[in-house]
Amino acid sequence: MNATHRTLDARGLACPEPVILTRKALAEGGFETLEVVVDNDAARENVLKFAEFSRCPVARVEAAEGVFRLWLATAGAPAPAPEVPSPASAGGAVVLVATEAIGRGDDELGRLLMRGFLFALTECEPPPLRVILMNGGVKLAVEGAESLVNLRRLADAGVEILACGTCLEFFGLKASLAVGRVSNMYEIAGHLLQGPAVTLS
Amino acid sequence: MTLLATYPSSHAALRAERRLKDAGLPIELIPVPRQIHSSCGFCLLVHLQEPDATLLDSGLEGLWRALDPEPGQPRRRYERHPSHP
Repeated sequence: MNATHRTLDARGLACPEPVILTRKALAEGGFETLEVVVDNDAARENVLKFAEFSRCPVARVEAAEGVFRLWLATAGAPAPAPEVPSPASAGGAVVLVATEAIGRGDDELGRLLMRGFLFALTECEPPPLRVILMNGGVKLAVEGAESLVNLRRLADAGVEILACGTCLEFFGLKASLAVGRVSNMYEIAGHLLQGPAVTLS
Repeated sequence: MTLLATYPSSHAALRAERRLKDAGLPIELIPVPRQIHSSCGFCLLVHLQEPDATLLDSGLEGLWRALDPEPGQPRRRYERHPSHP
């Protein structure tokens, strides 16, 4: 290892640790390449996504025996605080769905309203930029969920569907996510600060 | 093409959803489109070309043909189905 290279071993760490450590290392700077070593798909995806947000080029990705090595090129300069993702496209709102059922009063009605809302969203023009699912909201995107068909329509229309990884894990649903991809709190916070955001809770 | 079935109330639409699902009909519960009614109710999108006996006997208030959206248009359009004026 030389002075312009740093290795960050994030094996065995659960989300969001690898991203936190990567962010810290990039903020410290002082090297030209950062090699992040992780041992699960979620960590790999989250670190790559984070690199993209930080406008930090990914020079190389190697995968062998369940271990991923991600080479991030930093050109030696400390990265600017990469908290907020760059706007992916103009005009679209972010919809944060933080519940399985809309509102309080009656849960069955709330679930019905959610199904109706997600269908109506598929007919909105312009569509939202992304839909972020947190807490009970992640249950809408798993195999067998009534709303899956509408979330898939949104995804097909180019809407990014993000599901909170902590929430999926909490409910034991990580393997059942059927649309979109797993995200983490940094990415979600960044998206929510980026533009118009609507919260359903 | 798809059909749209409306019911006198959201409760009736829910009951019909259960019944038609049990009968194996490919349906989706959706909010009543604005073109059909300005109220905030629910109805069924039925993925069939033509209504079958179960659907016609499900307590319908109205039956519509849902025309696929024009390219570039997000919304379906609806026209009354002749079998249920």
